[in-house]
Amino acid sequence: MKKFLKEDLWRHAIALVICFFVLFPIYLVFLSALSPSGSLQVTSFIPKAISLRNFHMLFSSPLIPYLTWMKNSIVIAGIVAILSVVIGAASAFAFSRLRFKGKKQGLQLLLLVQMFPAILSLSAVYVIMERVYSFAPRIGLGTQPGLLLVYMGGAMGVNIWLLKGFVDSIPLELDEAARVDGASAVQTYWLIFVPLAAPVLAVVSLLSFIGTFNEFILARLFLVDMHARTVAVGLQGFISGQYVSNWGPFAAGSIIASIPLVAIFLSLQKYIISGLTAGSVKG
Amino acid sequence: MEKLFNRKVTVTLKYLVVAFVSSLMLMLIMSSFAKREYAISGFLTIGLIAIALTYLTNYSIPMKFFLPGMLFLFAFVVGPILYTVAMSGFQYSTGNYISKPDAISRIIATGIRPDANQTTFDIIVGEDSAKNLEILASDPTNKVYFLSTATTKTDLDPTVLAVDENGDATKAPGFHPLTPDQQNAVDQKIADTRFAYSSAYFITIEGSNVASLKSQTLMYNSSTDTFTNVQTGAIYKDNGVGDYANVANKVELLQPGWRAPIWFSNYTKLFTDPQIRKPLVKVFIWTMVFASLTVLTQFALGLLVAMIMNRKLFGRRIYRSIFILPYAMPSIMSILIWGGMFDTEFGAINHLFGTHVHWFQNAMYARAAVIIVNLWLGFPYFYLICSGALQAIPAELSEAAAIDGATNRQIFRKITMPLLLQVVSPLLVASFAFNFNNFNIIYLLTGGGPSNTLGGDVAGSTDILISYTYKIAFGAGTQNLGLASAISVVIFVIIASISLYGIRRSKVLESFK
Repeated sequence: MKKFLKEDLWRHAIALVICFFVLFPIYLVFLSALSPSGSLQVTSFIPKAISLRNFHMLFSSPLIPYLTWMKNSIVIAGIVAILSVVIGAASAFAFSRLRFKGKKQGLQLLLLVQMFPAILSLSAVYVIMERVYSFAPRIGLGTQPGLLLVYMGGAMGVNIWLLKGFVDSIPLELDEAARVDGASAVQTYWLIFVPLAAPVLAVVSLLSFIGTFNEFILARLFLVDMHARTVAVGLQGFISGQYVSNWGPFAAGSIIASIPLVAIFLSLQKYIISGLTAGSVKG
Repeated sequence: MEKLFNRKVTVTLKYLVVAFVSSLMLMLIMSSFAKREYAISGFLTIGLIAIALTYLTNYSIPMKFFLPGMLFLFAFVVGPILYTVAMSGFQYSTGNYISKPDAISRIIATGIRPDANQTTFDIIVGEDSAKNLEILASDPTNKVYFLSTATTKTDLDPTVLAVDENGDATKAPGFHPLTPDQQNAVDQKIADTRFAYSSAYFITIEGSNVASLKSQTLMYNSSTDTFTNVQTGAIYKDNGVGDYANVANKVELLQPGWRAPIWFSNYTKLFTDPQIRKPLVKVFIWTMVFASLTVLTQFALGLLVAMIMNRKLFGRRIYRSIFILPYAMPSIMSILIWGGMFDTEFGAINHLFGTHVHWFQNAMYARAAVIIVNLWLGFPYFYLICSGALQAIPAELSEAAAIDGATNRQIFRKITMPLLLQVVSPLLVASFAFNFNNFNIIYLLTGGGPSNTLGGDVAGSTDILISYTYKIAFGAGTQNLGLASAISVVIFVIIASISLYGIRRSKVLESFK
């Protein structure tokens, strides 16, 4: 008991203070999501009345296509997550295992390219996609496929780096054995590397999914149409107006949008953390 | 046997995919070429050839792995970066957006004035027999009637014309009026056309049925590349930075200018023009402070939490789940919620502490708010990293030190910290580089404010380089893409050097393993 007081009590005390810090905003989100007035105006920290009006509004109001937004976000982030990892894994494998001229330069270029502040090439991306729109209206500016293409380009650098780190950690003896048995590089990739790296590929696509789901600036630039928006852009619209601040529906929508991400994160934290230490930083 | 079958299937599949992608690209190449987007169709053509060469021959095995990723990277990352670097060498801002030929034709189009009497005509828009745009003009007071196209003017005899109650001509031989729908279709052409009148004067359309007599005041001389104002005699010359400037008075410019190559002027301006340098220095200092404070506070809290949790503790799993919540939530939403909490009148923070702080109106409070929110967002990352690193430190080391009589504090300072830092320092550098460009938190939380917009400042007190540059490029006032691109390139150089340093460090670590 004495040991508990000396060793553990202060740990609990600090932990509880930090818990308060962490949970305070989250509690407020629930508070305003459940408050009938739909504002973030705090008059009391204990709710006087609880209503599901805000949640109801998200699913019934014809002005708020919330389910469409969620679907858009999940579809876009899902496609980017899968395709960018499929494409990125091939490059990562080549960087890690194959010998070729210009490998070092290629890696350096990849690294350099990643350091350019992406937001600042925004105007260039905009101009390019505007031109694409002029001859291919389906994949140009203002369309989801167009946004998807741009995301794919952006995801490439990060994913190749992350995946390369993982590939490097797979023992070299395995593909040497395969080579001795007469397997080509392509066969080694498909028959040895892909099955071995499957869990890692899943983690990286998960990180990619979370990153894309969170992306806001490009999505806002691209998706003007109400029904084409992603959840992040759609919800931001609630509170961005200077005079209309619909915190209630915003909070309710945020909670629902957060649930899949938090669930994924908490259940797979062990795997995700291994990705974090490999150098990914979430925004 | 089975293997053979598999191989057949995969090879067929490969050709199907290659054929599908190629035909898609071929379609895009053709349509982009038809729209004169030569750069894009050129890129796609190279891509298509590369795909064919790579996947239909065995010329280069590594390319088989690289090509798809490379195409995406070049199209949407490298391409835009090169475009940005190119833009940084241009005078490319509000008033200088178009090409030089476009600017010249715009100046010619707007450099006109009405004649001394401000003569107007009542007109009907139509076509002549050769389908050229033509107007039937009437001046009922002076009984003057004529037909005019862009090239010829034909005077009409008033006695043979059909005239309405206002004295305007309604019909003329060989003249076919356009219906309103037809007019709408060629609206822009009608507005741009100059109908012939005399050698010095021409007619432009003012409204639906009115046209007026104009003369050119700004005359362009293509052999000397100058404009002359025939009224004042002033001569305007290309000033080399995208404008025609009055030779006698260099600040008097003709509008619009064009995007002209000015090479490194945007860069030198960063250091020499005090109106640009002063806010830039201020923003740069805050960016460094913001990024270092963020990393320090996040790391300190993360480490503290990791150390508290680094032993068997009742409810450790629950604590852990709570602590990583900020990291798991979509950050955009958390930032926006924090923004609402800092509201002066109704915000939860002021309510909780019973204060009435103007968080986002005061520079220091706004900066504190940004750091606090970023701490909330980012400490779980370092908690996760540190707890992993702490567990990896062998317990024997601290036990041995304890036996040798070291205090807890000594063990922490001399053993734990150095080992921890070795693992964490590259990540600290990475985090610094990330926060250096942490656009979302500034843009969504404070918008860079508070700023003295009445005083004409673009830079706010919490603006970091990237949000400041964003404002310069896409902001509400004058937009200057050339200058913004130059700053981007400078940021790029800074970040690249920081990160290269970090990578060097991590390379050193690798060689120790």
